[in-house]
Amino acid sequence: MVKKKEKYDFSLYEYHNLMNQNILVSYKGPIDERIMTVIGENILLVTNDGGDKAKNKIFKVFMELAQNVWLYSAESCKLENGKSVGLGTLVVSECGNSYTFVTGNVVNNADVVPVIEKCETINSLDRDSLREYRREQRRLANEGKPNSGNIGLIQVALTAESPLDIELTPVNDDESFLSIAVKISKDNFRNS
Amino acid sequence: MNDIHIQESRDSYIIPAVDFVASTGKCIIKGESFLEETSKFYTELVDWLKDYVKNAKEIEFILQLKYFNTSTSKWILKMLSVLKQFELDGGKVKVLWYYYQDDADMRDDIKDYIYGSNLNIDMVPFTDN
Repeated sequence: MVKKKEKYDFSLYEYHNLMNQNILVSYKGPIDERIMTVIGENILLVTNDGGDKAKNKIFKVFMELAQNVWLYSAESCKLENGKSVGLGTLVVSECGNSYTFVTGNVVNNADVVPVIEKCETINSLDRDSLREYRREQRRLANEGKPNSGNIGLIQVALTAESPLDIELTPVNDDESFLSIAVKISKDNFRNS
Repeated sequence: MNDIHIQESRDSYIIPAVDFVASTGKCIIKGESFLEETSKFYTELVDWLKDYVKNAKEIEFILQLKYFNTSTSKWILKMLSVLKQFELDGGKVKVLWYYYQDDADMRDDIKDYIYGSNLNIDMVPFTDN
């Protein structure tokens, strides 16, 4: 009797084609400081437009967005050293005159509202008001006050010089998949 | 009191170089800052500064950070707050912050630290050349 071959229900070819759509770097898995440093360095190798100024901006935006996944993902796994780290997805793509950074991770529904409110506030502010907002959040953090989190998202909007694009997809009754995207126009590398 | 000397590293994490010298009152943090345990790393520096200013008349604080994450950013403000209190208590404080000439984001950030800490910070642009 011939044993029926089990069908592997995943097309790596389709995935590869999907990833070919101007995607420079993609990663899914545990995210901690060490992994972020390695991916961050690799992103700098493939984002070649704009010189050092561009690389600086790209690195800063990537690190802040990735930290958000690391710190706030509802999914986690334990590493060899026993440390628990967040799970998530990071994608960097290049399209025409811009780079786009997207991060995604599962979040508890109870934690979603403050993040969305924070993003809406960030998107409603001009650059000077955003800087004022960052100063205020840093002051609160320095005084150990609550609700001083997410300075990283303010930093992302300031560095990328563009709004945060939020998408929320329900996963189940308790959790949703939160995706945060931000674009960096290559024009930013030319302006001082 | 002991000096603090930490070598810059980019092995697994991004650790800035630190040189805090008690005999001269010159304190330098240079490189990039993205650490595994930011709080532990900077608590040592803040405590050192607090100890140092107890018996000092002046201090020179030099920052040259190309990149620092938001966790680090809170600790920078804590260190500047210690220096500001020292100044209010009669100490002489000199702060220099070096930044890449092209890095407009960093320039804005330093201005915000000046505003937030109420300290006079000399902003010094530089290039690699």
